[in-house]
Amino acid sequence: MRAWAVILFLVIISPVFGVILADRVGYHEPLDVAAEKLGLKEVDIGYHTPFEDYTFPGVGPVPGYILAGLIGVGLIAVLGEVLKRVVAK
Amino acid sequence: MHIPDGFLDVYWVGATYIVTIGYFAYLSLSHQLVLDSSRVSLVTTLAAAIFAAQMLNWPLPGGTSLHLLGGALAGIILGPSYGSVTLALVLLVQALVFHDGGLTTLGANILNMGIVAVLVGYYVFKYALRISGKVSRGSIFMAGLLAGWMSVFIAGVVCGVEIGLSPQFPYGVEVTIPVMGGWHFILGIVEGIITGFVLSHPHARNPELIVALKEAGG
Repeated sequence: MRAWAVILFLVIISPVFGVILADRVGYHEPLDVAAEKLGLKEVDIGYHTPFEDYTFPGVGPVPGYILAGLIGVGLIAVLGEVLKRVVAK
Repeated sequence: MHIPDGFLDVYWVGATYIVTIGYFAYLSLSHQLVLDSSRVSLVTTLAAAIFAAQMLNWPLPGGTSLHLLGGALAGIILGPSYGSVTLALVLLVQALVFHDGGLTTLGANILNMGIVAVLVGYYVFKYALRISGKVSRGSIFMAGLLAGWMSVFIAGVVCGVEIGLSPQFPYGVEVTIPVMGGWHFILGIVEGIITGFVLSHPHARNPELIVALKEAGG
């Protein structure tokens, strides 16, 4: 339980780093910076993800980032529970 | 280091998927990957922790950032097989739900961050600790630092090889390896510091909790 409390804490404080400070410095993924030097470009292959770039539709970037984090953590927990039931059989 | 769609050509997309699926099939068939309820709980908790930690980007002046990758940490704590499953779970959720890393490049991303980084981190930690000849807070920190650092550097080099050998791009490996390897050599230092710090934390230094520590004779 203590581990999950720490995980929850990390998600709640994550917008400070992932949104607020990231906006201040004009953040790019390190790979994007290397890709720029190499002239690589992302290609849209036409698949849609519901919470692209850790956003939540209709919600601002800070609460959206927290919601996206909770969804990600929750989804991993659910997948774990499903897998546990599968291996228990 | 999440490669988006379009950075690899179709041959590398196919090859990296085959290697990644083949690796997990080999682990499963050779009984190195036997999932039971308690093991699934460990994998799930660590995957959730790494997912949350990866959301903490530490922005750097100049427009880039650092965040934990977690491959070395997962490999050291759970061993290479379960460490790879942990990272694969994180990368799967990131690609399918958050578009962080492409769908066509998921095989490559799992190969780089979930297999290469995990294996490098695990073996560097184990042998660094063995060479140091003692298990103390300092030696665990140093072994963790080296493991995290090398895991990101080598994974970056492998990523550079994949991009450089994709014939559709103008640059060969003579350009992509120095660019990717150079960047990740520097970024890996922070991965190493975080990995060393977490592993040397008093609550984490229990050999029963850390597979690589137990196997290194801790």
